[in-house]
Amino acid sequence: METKLTQTSTRRKFLEKIGLAGIGAVSAPLIVSGCNSTDSGESNSVIKVLTPDNKLVEIDTAALKPVLESGDKQHLQKLGREGLKGKKFVMVIDLARCQNERACMKSCQSAHQLKPEQHHINVLEMHDEDSGLTYYMPKTCQHCDNPPCVTVCPVDATFKRQDGIVLIDNERCIGCRFCIAACPYSARTFNWTDPKDAEKYKDVSYNMELNVPQKKGTVTKCAFSADQLREGNLPYCVSACPNGVYYFGDANEDLVTNGTTRETVRLSKLLKENAAYKLMPELGTKPNVFYLPPRQSNS
Amino acid sequence: MKNSKVVWTILLFACCSAIAMAQEKWLVPEANNDMLSILIFDEDTQLEGKLIYTRSCRSCHGDPTKKDFTIMSPSPGDVASDLYQDQTDGSLFYKIQKGRGPMPSFENAFSEEEIWSLVSYIRSFNPEYQQKLPNLEGIEIPNLTLHISYDENIDKLVVKVTSDSLEVMADASVKAYIQGMFGKYPLGSEMTNELGIAYFHIDSKIPGDTEGYLDILVKTYKDYGTAKYAGKIQAGNPTIRKSAIEGRHLWSAAKKAPIWMIIIFNMMGIGIWGVIIYVIFGLRKFKKLS
Repeated sequence: METKLTQTSTRRKFLEKIGLAGIGAVSAPLIVSGCNSTDSGESNSVIKVLTPDNKLVEIDTAALKPVLESGDKQHLQKLGREGLKGKKFVMVIDLARCQNERACMKSCQSAHQLKPEQHHINVLEMHDEDSGLTYYMPKTCQHCDNPPCVTVCPVDATFKRQDGIVLIDNERCIGCRFCIAACPYSARTFNWTDPKDAEKYKDVSYNMELNVPQKKGTVTKCAFSADQLREGNLPYCVSACPNGVYYFGDANEDLVTNGTTRETVRLSKLLKENAAYKLMPELGTKPNVFYLPPRQSNS
Repeated sequence: MKNSKVVWTILLFACCSAIAMAQEKWLVPEANNDMLSILIFDEDTQLEGKLIYTRSCRSCHGDPTKKDFTIMSPSPGDVASDLYQDQTDGSLFYKIQKGRGPMPSFENAFSEEEIWSLVSYIRSFNPEYQQKLPNLEGIEIPNLTLHISYDENIDKLVVKVTSDSLEVMADASVKAYIQGMFGKYPLGSEMTNELGIAYFHIDSKIPGDTEGYLDILVKTYKDYGTAKYAGKIQAGNPTIRKSAIEGRHLWSAAKKAPIWMIIIFNMMGIGIWGVIIYVIFGLRKFKKLS
């Protein structure tokens, strides 16, 4: 079943590219890459290929090599589904340090093509009427180890990867919004209208790890900036914070790094010494985002 | 009325002179002004400087280049501005170390090395900056060699610093880190003893790879001589890294659902369809009989 699917999609890709070649808008390596996979079984056979100047030439299939385009959608889809081996990403949010600067939200929205009213991360104002005390709480997807959103997705569009990140593939998403209903943290948002700068991103290949371009009628959510993690960088929100609120790291290493100060500390020690807690642990969702309680900050 | 005018005038003068005094040039003794760093500035010194800056300087000086320093007199200013970058390394060092007025003295808070790291960080905002190194003629720069081992009986990383000819280097500064995915976890900063050895405690519970190897980074310097070591040392707790989606889970997609669930689901399906088919066959039998 799987091979059949690949064949159809590559054939479609091939035809698409031949069509583009007709109007002279495609270069030779692209066509070659399109032809390659359809005939990958046979060796030493000859295929006909159309060059950009409309000449039909014959090429030995043995000489064909797949060209990995930087924006190759299939390649990106494969990377996105696999995840990073041996990692288990966690985030620690120090509520004592949050000053409601909202730099995390802004950098997240600009990276993920979100409108100002759409949030992958949102800073909530927590106000206690009786004491009159207020603190600010950044809230994002908790990347649960027991994710209710994945359970309810009828088309396997939202899934959990080996590195613990819960992602969504908007190529598969049918917009049923079951996941939005299932998520106890209200971490997901829906593209009711055309996304921001839809024209600008029209020809960009869909990158699941970045979740860009966004698509009308699909659900979008925090991806722990999986595209950044792949390159060894901290997530957008974490590195944008000016107040040292976020720690991020690999739980398998037991080390987390502060996005502002770049100070690396032991995760277990940080959680224990600061009485860290998780949101709604009673639901058994096993979140991977920890909160350090709001308190008089020493720093 | 006249008296109050006089008082106001005096007050105004007093204020003006106070401001003038505060903004008077901060003179740095010539010897200090020409002082040069004991460190060679690189990415590591900048990172260390950044850590110190964020903790101890940012509250007044703000984020470099953003000019968001606190408004006070005299103005702390932006460390990326020409006001700072036009000064010599020695002048910056002296001012951080000694302090003046609202600028605290960090002499007791930071070691010389830490202050030079801060200078290194401040300089990282000046693309034209080139570090001035001292005239090293006649001074012998030692070629340092690091010998790293791990003593599991005392959970300590043993760092021995020698010269090329295996001559022991006492009083060399050594820093050790565990390299994490996003940053370096400091194990400490030590000086070598008379045997040229420095010890760093490593918590044996810290997870390593499947065989307990950790990525260790060690740096040493003495009299402008430096050496670096980056490698794997078997000092951690052997940890098997599991995939977060390993095994079968209730929340997984159908293909990774628990076996018992697949069996019960299929049995129920077969059972219900079985009953329906049985009933249909029964009804057909009735029809035939009638």
